[in-house]
Amino acid sequence: MLKRTTTIFLALAGFSLALAAQDVALKGGTILTITRGVIENGTVVIQKGKITALGKNVAIPAGLKVIDVAGKFVLPGLIDTHTHIAMDGGDVNEATDPSTPHLWMKDVLVSDHPSILTTLSGGVTTVKTMHGSANVFGAVNAVIKLKYARPLNELLVQGVRPQLKMALGENPKRVYGEQGRSPSTRLGTAYVARKAFTDAREYKAKWDEYEKAVAAGKTEAKPPARDDKLDTLKMVLEKKMTIDCHIYRADEIVWFLNFCREFDIVCSQISHCIDGYKVADIIAASGATAGGWTDWWGFKEEAYDGCPYGFEIMHRAGVNIVINSDSPDESRYLYLNAAKVQKYNDLPNDVVLRMFTINAAKALEMENRIGSLEVGKDGDCAVFDKYPLDSTAKCVLALIEGDVFFDLARQGVSAVKGGVR
Amino acid sequence: MKRAAVYSLVLVLGLLALASGPAFGQDAVVIKNGKIVPVSGAPISGGSLVIEKGKITAIGTNVKIPANARVIDASGMYVYPGMVAPLTAVGLTGYPGAGSDINEVGLSSPYLDPFEALNPEDETIGVARVDGVTTVMTAAGTARLINGKVIALHLDGDLPEDMILQRDVCLVFNTSARQANSYPATFEGLSRYFTDKLDKARQFADKKKAGESVRDPEMEALAAVLDGQKPVVFVAQGEVPLRIALRLITDFKLKGILFTASNDLLKFVDEIAARKIPVIWAGTTGLPDRWKPVDLNYHMAAVLAEKKILFALSESAGQGGGNVRRLPVPASLSVAYGLSEEEAVKAMTLNPARIFGLDDRIGSLDVGKSADIVICTKPLIQASAKIKTVFIAGKEIPLTNVQTRLRDKYRRIVEDRMARKK
Repeated sequence: MLKRTTTIFLALAGFSLALAAQDVALKGGTILTITRGVIENGTVVIQKGKITALGKNVAIPAGLKVIDVAGKFVLPGLIDTHTHIAMDGGDVNEATDPSTPHLWMKDVLVSDHPSILTTLSGGVTTVKTMHGSANVFGAVNAVIKLKYARPLNELLVQGVRPQLKMALGENPKRVYGEQGRSPSTRLGTAYVARKAFTDAREYKAKWDEYEKAVAAGKTEAKPPARDDKLDTLKMVLEKKMTIDCHIYRADEIVWFLNFCREFDIVCSQISHCIDGYKVADIIAASGATAGGWTDWWGFKEEAYDGCPYGFEIMHRAGVNIVINSDSPDESRYLYLNAAKVQKYNDLPNDVVLRMFTINAAKALEMENRIGSLEVGKDGDCAVFDKYPLDSTAKCVLALIEGDVFFDLARQGVSAVKGGVR
Repeated sequence: MKRAAVYSLVLVLGLLALASGPAFGQDAVVIKNGKIVPVSGAPISGGSLVIEKGKITAIGTNVKIPANARVIDASGMYVYPGMVAPLTAVGLTGYPGAGSDINEVGLSSPYLDPFEALNPEDETIGVARVDGVTTVMTAAGTARLINGKVIALHLDGDLPEDMILQRDVCLVFNTSARQANSYPATFEGLSRYFTDKLDKARQFADKKKAGESVRDPEMEALAAVLDGQKPVVFVAQGEVPLRIALRLITDFKLKGILFTASNDLLKFVDEIAARKIPVIWAGTTGLPDRWKPVDLNYHMAAVLAEKKILFALSESAGQGGGNVRRLPVPASLSVAYGLSEEEAVKAMTLNPARIFGLDDRIGSLDVGKSADIVICTKPLIQASAKIKTVFIAGKEIPLTNVQTRLRDKYRRIVEDRMARKK
């Protein structure tokens, strides 16, 4: 019944290519596994959404749908750990209060938003879609697989630690300073952050005490008053949630990593991370991922030291580096921006390919599910017509858990009668 | 005695000048063994290119190499003309806190000249040129209705005048710039605003021709574009702005250049081809509307090439600034989706030079042209191509800028800190 409803829904939607979960084999391509080298003339078998076989001489089970990818390159679906897609632009920033940790981005996602399809067209299959940087505490971000036009609950990735968006530096300062409110300085921002977690510690202590009392059978124990904002921050203190913090300047990166130690909380990713190369060793020691652009710089004061030559410094220090788009435009060519890393840094192909695959999966704590092609992992693949670090390559096919969600031949210009003319 | 002293002083100064060497571009250089892509003709493998006095003096497989020429071995490398970035703010911005000197307040200020605020120490110059952009077309602005002048700049020089390739190249009109709360707030208003201004400019020109003593800086500057005396770039972002631009070009016999990031350009390609209007296509990386194919914008350059429209690429949907070095991004994406590599390179070099009337001096590797040369490890459209050598007017440009200095400084700092911790 559920299945039929879904099918009808999709028929009505009329957009999604994928119908039912499909078993499929991608046959005869060059497979870039990312973690286990390159397999020439290889085959990837996906069954019930997972990769079940992978290699040169793989027996394709009878009856399986076969997609010929001879001459093409198969890689794990790309991952973008900093986007604001799949939502109305008006829902990116709740810029009325510098502290809104009680908000959840999953509440506002639109499963057939056009940005999902355009992002898919660049081979991206998983994104973290986020609150903006107006607030010191934004919202809880959502990780979604880009299953265009499916019901939203099928897009939302379950079972991974959520990440709360925080933002330091010029943006909260500007947004609230212009309103004549605090924070209008970095000092004010530091206060907002510290006060919130100090309050959350107190709140958590009260709840811990209450739960201890209940466990001890004290029926007269009264629960503390619920507070939505503090509930989220309590989750962070309990390490049931981590932080993705928007930071440009080196001093603030160091400040924030110290702050995380002070409150014993986890920073998963430093976003934008313009000055990351200046404190590469400190980021590496913290275990946080550095996410950012390749060559954007100078568009505001705190972005002035953006440096595309910094990747080598971060790589040598051992930082987990990911390439992000922060834009529905650039999310379509993460591979091109990654190739550009090699223009400015002497880094080999395999190191750069990781920056939009397995490193990004690690940043989401999903490295056991996505980010490389290995038996047991999700059947998320991007097929390119050329080697993806060749700047004249393009994505021709994107599969999520074995279903084709993007097919250039069917969704691109060539599918339109008469082409573009 | 006195005269003798003067003569000897002149002689000494002259000798000193010779000893210290000319300011730039006087020594002969030969670039050998590379794959030379002249753009104006077929690539030459294993050829040589000679630079003398700032110009290209020989190119080919069998050239006479001047005695004492400095030799650059470009084995395994590619040799291209320097890239030309259309409509930038390079030279007018680039220091945090300094503010930007583009887009002066006011609807119409065609008399503004970017030369008046040109800063040779703008950091965006160094960032652009180490990646092979050797010429930029810097505009006073693009956001107002009638903007100021455009100047062509070589990205080298200690003083503003050293950088000038040409002043007063053209004007910039923006037929998309509806005003928020004042006239013209609509396109119908905007359309007539331009007609009215240009009519007045026509009357002004007629009066002047008749020998009347008239003075009006705005009209003076506008009259200079009537009847195609000087080009006008139309920033036209959408169907209606494009149509207004095309009408104005007809009505006032303007030498129009269309600058657009809108894929509505498709609706006009046949007309534009027939009327031989050049285009600066700035929308490769733009997102198509949801009812259009996802890769539509990527295909646009291939359509322009197929229609034989003279077109250049812009990395920015509007006036570019600190990242004009990204020019190869739209080029590679266009090639991935159907444009030939040859056309893509042309759209970053010779085509913009032609569009702005500078192709007698820059844009290709030909004898007599300015020695603006880029040597790189891979084809220019490859994002991973490393730029190894850049010449501007025959002078080798140091491949350093604010960002290489930051790299050098912090690589040392990070390494020192890591060593101390061990």
